[in-house]
Amino acid sequence: MSPSADPLSDGAAPVGGVHITYLVHCPRQLWLYARGYRPEQRSDLVAFGEVVNETTFPRRRDVDLGEAKIDWVTTGAVVHETKSSRAPAPAHSAQVRHYCLLLERRGVNVRGGVVHYPLVRRTVDVLWDDDARTRAEDAEADAQAVIAAATAPERLTRDQCRGCSYLDYCWGD
Amino acid sequence: MPAVGRTYWLTEPCRIRREDNSVRVERQDGSPVRIPITDIRDLVVFDHVDVNTSALSLLSRSGVTLHVLDHYGNHAGHFSPAESMASAAVVRRQVEITADEEQRLAIGRSLVLASAQNLRWSLDTDLLDPALDSLNAALPGCGSSEAIMGEEGNFRRTAWAVLDQRLPPWLRLNGRTRRPPTNAGNAFISYLNSIVYARVLTALRSTPLHPAIGFLHADTDRRRNTLALDLAEPFKPLFAERLLRRTAHQKHLKQNDFETDVGRASLSKDGRKKIAALVREELATTVYHRSLKRKVSYEELIHLEALKIVRLCLEGQPYKPFRPWW
Ligand code: SF4
Repeated sequence: MSPSADPLSDGAAPVGGVHITYLVHCPRQLWLYARGYRPEQRSDLVAFGEVVNETTFPRRRDVDLGEAKIDWVTTGAVVHETKSSRAPAPAHSAQVRHYCLLLERRGVNVRGGVVHYPLVRRTVDVLWDDDARTRAEDAEADAQAVIAAATAPERLTRDQCRGCSYLDYCWGD
Repeated sequence: MPAVGRTYWLTEPCRIRREDNSVRVERQDGSPVRIPITDIRDLVVFDHVDVNTSALSLLSRSGVTLHVLDHYGNHAGHFSPAESMASAAVVRRQVEITADEEQRLAIGRSLVLASAQNLRWSLDTDLLDPALDSLNAALPGCGSSEAIMGEEGNFRRTAWAVLDQRLPPWLRLNGRTRRPPTNAGNAFISYLNSIVYARVLTALRSTPLHPAIGFLHADTDRRRNTLALDLAEPFKPLFAERLLRRTAHQKHLKQNDFETDVGRASLSKDGRKKIAALVREELATTVYHRSLKRKVSYEELIHLEALKIVRLCLEGQPYKPFRPWW
């Protein structure tokens, strides 16, 4: 579609939850991730997140959508997502909306979503309505456009990069 | 970003077994040591080890590389996890860039020049300035990797002669020899260079790059991971020559830390321990990084070097080989 499609990108790969999270956090991160640069596998923070995920809801049922793995889905088709961070972020609810969209496309009657923050014993409800659906579809299209771009999006400012696992790559010159 | 896990240096003969999700290291004397697999980044083996399949599959599943140095300190080989982080997108670019003669030679020249400058830095002398000047003058005319490596060889010979002047007679190189190293000095350099190579290889395995597609060593050494050999170059002086000079100066290494025979030398058991401790300490040494705005260890510098090649492949950012800035 785009004439300047990047020869480095592997075509229209399915957009998953991580893609949406990264898109909201930093488009550059999404662009790099889509090309296979994945430093988060080495990062202590992510390892910690995985431990939280494994220990908090031991009876959860994983739903594997191929594109996205949903933490667990209760009988009422409520999407649950667990985060190891202490503060809610826009990326978290965007990710849940994306899962709602994917589920709906598979014919599931989605009621909404919840983000869990076990470390601070908090939950945040995510609404699923027409507006949310539009936002989810827009985010998906944005993600696809970023991934297809020939050049990497600019870095954020140095302050905004704090805590990002891509920092060594972006600033390590 | 700190790497997950540490490097474990096995300087004594041992057995490696699996116990649940831990690696159990059994030494001949003393009780076994259990290390959770998540604590291990890689293993460097200096002496005989006996590893079984279930330990190897645990290492593989957890992305841990096991490096083997032979008796003389040469990198004898390594065991790598089945899965790598290499990405098709990045490797494709890597192949394109290294196949482009002009780019390949340009990077080869800059690697050799930086390594020579680093060598002068580590010897801290202006005696090498003339040799550096002639290297600088000769490099642009080098139209092949062999020619570039030839010029590098000339410079190194001069540099080692200068280094020899600062070493006690028993530790002098008297020219570089390998497989086997003929004297203590050469054995030392062999060990350190192999360790640097192993560090680079481990660093590369955490990137989307393929370690076997390189620039400088591309045509001359087909059996090895040429990108790892390339990126090791600018770091060798920081570790090998610099530490040799320092240990000689501090009289840290003794003649009996080596086993010297006619025409061959290797480290003794105590020597291996000393070197492992020395390198560990050195890899953990930190310097302040201006744009990262934090201290980075020498080990991380190697990781950052690998990321420069990722930037070259993904974004076309020119690669500038490592130079100490402190
Ligand atoms: S370091 Fe900054 S620019 Fe780079 S991916 Fe992270 S947030 Fe984006």
